[in-house]
Amino acid sequence: MTETSTSEGRIESDITRRLALQALFISVLAIAIGYAAAFRRAGTPVWAAWLLAIGIPVALGAIMILGATRGRRGIGPLKLPFLFVVATLAIGFGAALALPATEGPLSKLWLGLPVRAAIVIYGVGLLPIIVLPIAYALTFESQTLSAEDVERVRAVARERMRREGETGQDSVENERGI
Amino acid sequence: MTTSAPITALLQVSLPNAARPAVVTVGILYFTVIVGISIWAARRTRTANDFFVAGKGIGLIALTVASVSVSVSGFAFIGGPGFIYAVGLGAMYIVLPAAVTNVMGAWVLAKRMRLLGEARSLITIPDAIGARYRSRAAQGLSAVAILVGIVGYMATNALAMGVVINAIFDVGLGWGIWIGMGVTLAYSASGGILAGIYNDVFQGTLMAVASVLVFLFVLGFGGGLGDISRTILAHDPVLLGPWGKITPLAALSFFFIFSMGSLGQPQAVHKYYMLRDPLQLKWYPLLKTVGLILVLLLYFSVGVGVKAFVLDGRLAPLTSPDQATPALLLNVTPIVLAALVFSGVAAATMSAANSFINIGAAIVTHDLPIAFGRRVKNELRWGRAVTVLIAIAAAVTAQRSGAMVAFLGIFGWGLFASTLVPALAVGLNWQGATRSGAMASIATGLVVTLALETAAYFKVFTFPAGVTASAVAMVASFLVFFVVSWLTRRRAAGELDPDVRLVMEL
Repeated sequence: MTETSTSEGRIESDITRRLALQALFISVLAIAIGYAAAFRRAGTPVWAAWLLAIGIPVALGAIMILGATRGRRGIGPLKLPFLFVVATLAIGFGAALALPATEGPLSKLWLGLPVRAAIVIYGVGLLPIIVLPIAYALTFESQTLSAEDVERVRAVARERMRREGETGQDSVENERGI
Repeated sequence: MTTSAPITALLQVSLPNAARPAVVTVGILYFTVIVGISIWAARRTRTANDFFVAGKGIGLIALTVASVSVSVSGFAFIGGPGFIYAVGLGAMYIVLPAAVTNVMGAWVLAKRMRLLGEARSLITIPDAIGARYRSRAAQGLSAVAILVGIVGYMATNALAMGVVINAIFDVGLGWGIWIGMGVTLAYSASGGILAGIYNDVFQGTLMAVASVLVFLFVLGFGGGLGDISRTILAHDPVLLGPWGKITPLAALSFFFIFSMGSLGQPQAVHKYYMLRDPLQLKWYPLLKTVGLILVLLLYFSVGVGVKAFVLDGRLAPLTSPDQATPALLLNVTPIVLAALVFSGVAAATMSAANSFINIGAAIVTHDLPIAFGRRVKNELRWGRAVTVLIAIAAAVTAQRSGAMVAFLGIFGWGLFASTLVPALAVGLNWQGATRSGAMASIATGLVVTLALETAAYFKVFTFPAGVTASAVAMVASFLVFFVVSWLTRRRAAGELDPDVRLVMEL
């Protein structure tokens, strides 16, 4: 988890990863507490659903940040898309939990659905599609993978094959204690 | 994302007899195309690499459509709309995660899996776990976990195929199972994953076309989504509440399991190895998300549409919610559209079965021998042989015991999620994860899922509303992974090979 380095970029990347891991752990723990609360004899408390409503977006955001963090750049320009999506999911779930149930024959419809349903279907289900895959594609070379990265991996693979050709074993076979 | 559900959903459905001339004709055309693609692919399959990962030579569009195809099952066409019909929008939380799962998978897994494949010539998911933790034991344990899940999936997919083929051709359930498995086996054994991929492309396209046409038809027939909503709101407004008729906890649980759990589904994750050029990953999430949305249009539109049509008297009340799609197709839509959808459902089940057969064969001929320090000399020949065995075993199991098959089908998605997500998805992105943490997490997922699902199935206890064995197993697996990795953190640095470290740092 902690990679020692004096470079400023590396440290920033380290901090991003550490925060993402902590957020992932805490959010999964919150979800676990939400489930545990459902086993109470008095019934599921209202706050159990809130723990999931907040915990799920944070967990998804955290694991995406963990995957997107790289080298000197941390998550760079992806901060905004990630923040947007976590906020969209959390606000969507929160609104569905908090807004009063007013669905009826005279309900105002948003794009064909009553308000709370529209928030869930269009907000939670469609808004992230507009933002996340586009952000992924636009930042792909700088943030995810470049031709140079692929060549570095291929060079390491060639070197590894050369060494294994000399020693006749691979790293799994080198494993100790099994 | 929705592969798990066909299983129980389709098993519980007794589809009406749809054997009309148009349906049979389209069905025959469908199988003819499948056979043609399979013969072509068989001629191009010469090595184990071709057989298990298509020689890592699949283009972006083909891989995307194939991935959509294996991610969506018959549930999206039959069980899912029925679920919406019964409980309203709460059922949407199974498919809403599609908005984030593909791009999440791309960031968390796609690049690292593909680069690991480049660095180590890996062909399976347990391969990746073995390389990440430099551990044959971790590779073997993850292989066992996947194999257990596949046993369930295969038997239930075989039965689901039987149900659908019987509906199309009216040949009886037994013959339906053998015809479906026979065709799937023929292309799986001869052309391996290459045949699977190009059949998936055809099947995925068929599903998307059928779904979009049904969506447009339902909106037209219902006078638009606004009129459909008004009809439902006038009779049963709770259905269009944000949770429908299920509890918020249950709906959010669906979202959690089908979003985070998507990172552990081998039939989708395995595909990352196959992309010809890693740089093509750039557009993969966008294309796959759009493809999934198209295929899932039917799920939503039929669910709410049929509910409105029944409520306003344009359709007779259904005998069971699962009849929503068949009732619409056989009573309202043009018969050609019905034929397309029935073939689409067959396509969905066959696509999933092929994927699981291939993954299972790779585990038996590749991962398990490696776990015991052995190598199979001719992986291609043995891969084909094991493919035949898995398919026959699945068909026999599907025919022999309906109750057992239903039980086996319940836990597939959850088992994959709880055993693979922490060790694979987090492990490939966190250098502090340790071999002990990964193995403890995989074992926790396996034991907790099997114990809780068995106890629930035999009614030893009942979960509170909204809590499922899959969810409990996944959070338990995550927490064990973090705690054990933290306790054994001093070993972490020594368990990483330089090339794996490079892949994790890029």
